[in-house]
Amino acid sequence: MAVALVLALLAGAYAVAVLEGWATTGRFRPAAPLIAGLALFGRESLVPRRPDRLLFETAPVLLLIAALLAAAVLPLAPNLVAVDLATGALFVNAAWAYVMVALIMAGWGPDGAYAMVAGWRFLGQLVAYAMMIVMPISAVAMRAESLATTAIVQSQADFWNVAAQPIGFVLFWLAAMAVAFLPPFDLPTAPGTLAGGVAAEYTGARLAIFRLARLLLVVTLAAAVTVFYLGGWLGPWFPAWAWTGIKTLMVAAAMFGGGRFVPRIRVEHLLQWSWKLGIPLALLNIAWAGVTLWWVDR
Amino acid sequence: MTGQTVAVAVTGGIAVWFGVAVFRTSSMVRSALSLLASMAAIGGVFLAMEAEFLGVLQLMMMATEMAIMSVFMVMYMMDPGGLGQMEMSHQKRSSLAAGSLAGLAALGIALLVDWGPIAPVAAPPGEQTRALGIETMTRSLLVFEMAAVTILVAMIAAITVAIARRR
Repeated sequence: MAVALVLALLAGAYAVAVLEGWATTGRFRPAAPLIAGLALFGRESLVPRRPDRLLFETAPVLLLIAALLAAAVLPLAPNLVAVDLATGALFVNAAWAYVMVALIMAGWGPDGAYAMVAGWRFLGQLVAYAMMIVMPISAVAMRAESLATTAIVQSQADFWNVAAQPIGFVLFWLAAMAVAFLPPFDLPTAPGTLAGGVAAEYTGARLAIFRLARLLLVVTLAAAVTVFYLGGWLGPWFPAWAWTGIKTLMVAAAMFGGGRFVPRIRVEHLLQWSWKLGIPLALLNIAWAGVTLWWVDR
Repeated sequence: MTGQTVAVAVTGGIAVWFGVAVFRTSSMVRSALSLLASMAAIGGVFLAMEAEFLGVLQLMMMATEMAIMSVFMVMYMMDPGGLGQMEMSHQKRSSLAAGSLAGLAALGIALLVDWGPIAPVAAPPGEQTRALGIETMTRSLLVFEMAAVTILVAMIAAITVAIARRR
């Protein structure tokens, strides 16, 4: 089972890499990520002058660990999940929180201006999106009466959470894009203004780890949208794991495709929108979940 | 049982080690990240003691809390990025005294209070989560609300002071 899960995760990351290339360049090149990845390993991995070496080396690995830990609790099928934690929905949050820690390390470590600005920018981004991750998940857990991710999927057997809690779905979707710093929330990398931001000083094998970690992160976020809102493995005809895979890739494709047509949001606008509109809506979503559940129970 | 004890001791040791590291560095960023590592190790202690919900909650909250701390760092320091070298300990004698007193008090509470019978087996994680929810919504509700309001007031006060200074 462990081998199957790792293979599924790697296949997911590869498919997401192809999708990202397709969305950004407009050309469908299925071999491009493989060639680019191999090329990265062939290149010299430079260490910038006077780095905070410990943080510089830890950051890509921590990002990879955070993505892997998040993936560990998201089920592919009823019995196909690395760890079926009773607190899975909380654990996945805890893993994503360390994305911010890794990016601050990556921003601080290399002793470069662009990277540092980008690292602190992502801190602001976290303050904007954190509540929109936690509060919609709370509402989802209310409906499932459990924090276990498998129980959350099972609670959607009658109808999916996307229909039961549409506000939460939209908020979680946008916040998920912000966690993975996908456009228009790509403030910490910001091609064009920050020259790659947190990834600016990374080259060669270190950059390969960073990119792999980021792709896995996108996979976990798309999988989380699938598990929490789109009924996870539920669906006719195909086997359970195939449904999770199809839905996850479609969510990832929609995230890439949608972000392509929107200009990058400024950090202060992101904070204003999320705190003045997003958080009240998230509270409304929790209240809505409570009222509907009470109504159904009666 | 022994494996569990070793796990608690190791994670506890890591927590103390990083706790010391907080004051032994001259970089603010390293100090903040050491504090986070120390707190995350305490999450590990919870997990080693089979308190799954508390452990995961600790791991999550401490990462975001470090973020909030950094926001305040940026608001108040002359040198927000922490580029300059700075001393992490001040008023050494009084802080040493205060720290030892607080440590002794915590140890005293841990040893002297009657904690009731020790549970032979930890409850399943789902049940623990439920019990914690009932506890925070009944007996401890007032304590939690007081703490929450206090933190909120402190945050608003800090922001007001920071804005006033900037003007």
